[in-house]
This record gives sequence, C-alpha cells and structure tokens, in this order.
Amino acid sequence: MSTDRTPEVPESADDGTVLQKRVDRRLALKILAGGVAAGTQALGACSPLSAATDQEREVRLLAWQEYIKGNYRFMTDAERAETIARLERLAQLQRGVDVTIQSTGAQPGVQFGYAFNISKCKGFRRCVEACINENNLDRRAATQYIRIFEMEDGVVDLDHADATFQHEVPAEGHFYIGTQCFQCADPPCVKVCPVGATWQEPDGITVIDYDWCIGCRYCMAACPYWARRFNWSAPEVPAEEVNPNQHYLGNRARKTGVVEKCTFCIHRARQGRLPACAEACPTGARVFGNLLDPDSEIRWVLANKRIFRLKEDLKTEPRFWYFTD
Amino acid sequence: MSRACVAVASLIVVAVVMASGCGPRRGVRRSTRPPRADTLLSPAESAAALNEARQPGALATVPAAPVELWTGPGNRPFEVATRTSEEDAGHARRFGSITLQTALRARPLGQYPCTSCHLGRKVVMAEKRITDAHQNVRAEHPRQTGALCSTCHAADNVELLALENGDRVTLDETYRLCAQCHFAQVDAWADGAHGKRLDGWQGRRVVMVCPDCHDPHKPAVQPRIPFRAPRIERPQGHGK
Repeated sequence: MSTDRTPEVPESADDGTVLQKRVDRRLALKILAGGVAAGTQALGACSPLSAATDQEREVRLLAWQEYIKGNYRFMTDAERAETIARLERLAQLQRGVDVTIQSTGAQPGVQFGYAFNISKCKGFRRCVEACINENNLDRRAATQYIRIFEMEDGVVDLDHADATFQHEVPAEGHFYIGTQCFQCADPPCVKVCPVGATWQEPDGITVIDYDWCIGCRYCMAACPYWARRFNWSAPEVPAEEVNPNQHYLGNRARKTGVVEKCTFCIHRARQGRLPACAEACPTGARVFGNLLDPDSEIRWVLANKRIFRLKEDLKTEPRFWYFTD
Repeated sequence: MSRACVAVASLIVVAVVMASGCGPRRGVRRSTRPPRADTLLSPAESAAALNEARQPGALATVPAAPVELWTGPGNRPFEVATRTSEEDAGHARRFGSITLQTALRARPLGQYPCTSCHLGRKVVMAEKRITDAHQNVRAEHPRQTGALCSTCHAADNVELLALENGDRVTLDETYRLCAQCHFAQVDAWADGAHGKRLDGWQGRRVVMVCPDCHDPHKPAVQPRIPFRAPRIERPQGHGK
C-alpha cells in the first residue's frame, strides 16, 4: 500500500528534481513559458485556426521571454543586452521600425539640474512639440510631459493658472511658467511604488521600468507636481514619426497600463546633449546642466539669479528651479 | 521776378535729380564678377587695419581661426570659430577669463559680403535708400531709439560695425555692439543665463550670438500662435 508514504518523499525522480530545487518566480515562469511555447508550436502545427507564420511565432516567443525577465535595475549587463536585442527585434516585427535602444548608465560626477526663466518664456509651447516628437508620446491621447501655465502678472498661483490657452502669446499682463517632472532629490513617487518599478538613478533622474510597472498609479497620486502620465491605451505613434534613438529607461515604446514621465531626455542627456525641450526653446528660457560642475551655466544661474522652486515646503527637493532676469 | 523764380526752382529740381542719381539704383544689384582678391581686404583684416590706424597696437578683432560646422536646434547648420577669450581682446576685456565660443554670423547672411553690391563705394547712409535695396530690413529698432544706420554700421567700411569707442568689428562680433546698451543682457549671455547653447551641456561651451535669435533691426520677440493646447480630458476609448 502507498498510504504510509510521507508527503516529503517525491513520487518520481523527475518531480523530485523540481520540488527539491529552490524554485523562484522567474524560474517557474521560465519553465511555464517553455511549456507554453512548445504547446503553441504543437497547436500551430495541427490547428488551421492558429496557423502562425514564422514571424508570429517569433513575436510570441520574444513576448514571453520579455514577460519573464527581471527588473532592469538588477539585471546583469548580459541580461540587459539580451532584453534590448529582443525589444529592438520586437519593434522591427510589430511596428516595422528600426530602433536603437541604449542602456547608457549615469556619468560619474554628474547631477542634472534644470532652470527655467519665467521672464523669458512666452508660452510658444515649442518645448511641448519637441518633447512629443523626441519621446514618442502617444499621439492619440495627446500625452504631454510639459505643461505651460499662463498666469496673471504679480502672483504665482497654479490653482488659477490656465494650461490650455490657445491664443496669440504672449498675452498682455500675463507670464508663463512650465512644469514637467522635476526629478526630485527625495522623490515621493519612488517611495510609494509597491513593486520597485521606479527609482532614482545616480545622476538624479527618476526612471521607470515600463516592464515592471503594474499600473497601480500610486506614484501619480504621490507626485505633488502632477508630473506622471498613465497609458490608458498603448501609445500610438505613426511609424514614420518614431524617434529611433531610444533608451530603455526613457522613450522606448510603452504599453497599456503603465506610467511614464519626463526623464530629462535620458537618452540625450547622458550623451552630453541637451534635452529636446531646452534645445527647442526659441526664447532661451531653459538652462540645463551639471549641478556638480562649478563652471556650468546652471550653477551660475543658481548662484546669481533670484530663484525659487514650486512647493518647496514639501521638501521633495526638486532639481528644477525657476528664475527671473 | 517770376522768371527768376522758375529758373531757381528748375535748378533745384535738376540738383535733386542729380543727387538722387548718385545713389544706388533700385533693386538689389548683384555683381557677377568675383571680388578682386588683390585689392579687397577681408573684413577682419580691414577691421584690423582701421583699428590699427586709429589706435596703434589696440587690436580688438577676431583672429583667423579654424572654422567648424556645428548643428544647432532644428538641424540648423552653424559655423563656429574655435577661439577663447585669451585670443580675443574683446572678450577678455568685457568678460574676464571665461571661455566662450560663438557661432559665426557673417557668412550665412544672404547679402554678404556687402561688397558684392557696394564695390568699395562710399555708401550714403539714408534710410530711404536702405529700404530700396534691403527690403527685408524693417528698421523698428532705429526708429524706436532714434539711431541712424551709421550708429551701428561703419560708414567707412560697409562690411563692418562701428562701436562707440571707435573700434571696428566684423559681423561675427555683434555682441560687442549690442553690449554697448544691453550690457545686462550680454553679461547674462556670457555667463549662461541668456541665450542658447549649441550642441549640448557638456564639453566646449559654444553659444549662439545675439542676431541668431533677435533680428538686429527688429529685435523684440514677436507674438505668435502657440503649439496646440493639451487635451487634459481622458481619451474616450480605453484599452485596445
């Protein structure tokens, strides 16, 4: 009789190898994925309804491998290279665009800072336009990272400011103030993330792993500056308008149900270039640079101009200052 | 008596007609001949010569420097002279020891060099004539400030700009001209709070010069219609 068997004893040698091995979530999913992939192929061979082409099979396999990968923050360089290769191939297969996805890390001795001249900004929104094109923002939902508020002279009052103005600017008796993600030094959005999908990089940019985000939107509730955007649907960008210069933590393709935000154009900033908004600004209202470089333009502005930050009393220490001439 | 009046009047008319005939003809006259290299000095050389003659030893012009092509905002090409404040007396005097490279201004200009039309002739500085040949010039700034053409442009060499201290500078050093009145703006520009930087935040600091953004004859930023307003409301169809 087999009733006297203890439950610890495995039924067969095969089961034993699985049960006695320490199985973590990733390994279990890998095994599952292998089975599903094999099953899919078997199904494809016998059923006319799911007669997948080679290309469709490749997409499914890549998508599964993407699904079971780890958090970018804890990946080895080899794992990062693998996932980037998969993502580039997926972009080619699914969207028909050849993209280059970087994994460029932070430069040592660099802390990015941004200064915005409220005397200079005239509300032309060229920064918004450049941002949309540079970061592959959803054209259908008209996602925008930057908001330009029109305010009456004399008081900084965001509650009564108009971010939807559409008339010839600058309007008499008004000034303009732009907001975006301020890359706080003590970011509340990072603290509330239940899965560790968002974190602060060594150069001060707060980033999101879109493949680790579960879309709970706690970060959006936590952000006092309303800087994060949620994808209610998969972002739609026409293939000819896709910016192929991408970063894993920045402007690569997002999907439904994940949060995204401004990263100071991480793919440009880490290569020594200016963010797209700063480059596009026709009035020179935007100053970007390294806070740790005493000779940088941003340091001169912070040392010599009258500056303020929004909601400073919350002590989130935004790396985004406003100044006047 | 009346005959004498008529005679005087006709003399005046003839004089006026002769005087106007001496000015440049209507429309832009483009010379097809190449400039005579043996007789014509480059703007920098001629500025140097003029400054030398006025004040020996006080050379304050752009030295010959290698020129590079840079890409600016919107893939706009910029020629940039690689020079530092130590080489440039104007910079050193005005801005201390900062290192700054500026975009070149003169060569991208459509009607440059000026000698392709003016051919060394002394030009009568009158706004009436200017608007004939240079129809793109809208002289708002001189109108508002009461300045004449010769306040900024050198009457003795049309390629050059005239500073109040008597120096002559090329069109690549417009910031020295603007700094005479707009010193606060030019100081802020030299330090990085005004103006735009080419290429990036790292490495050599190459900046655009005043006329890259401000039309020298109409420098105020003009109103325009902004890029489309954001749709703040939620999109209708969720998911896909």
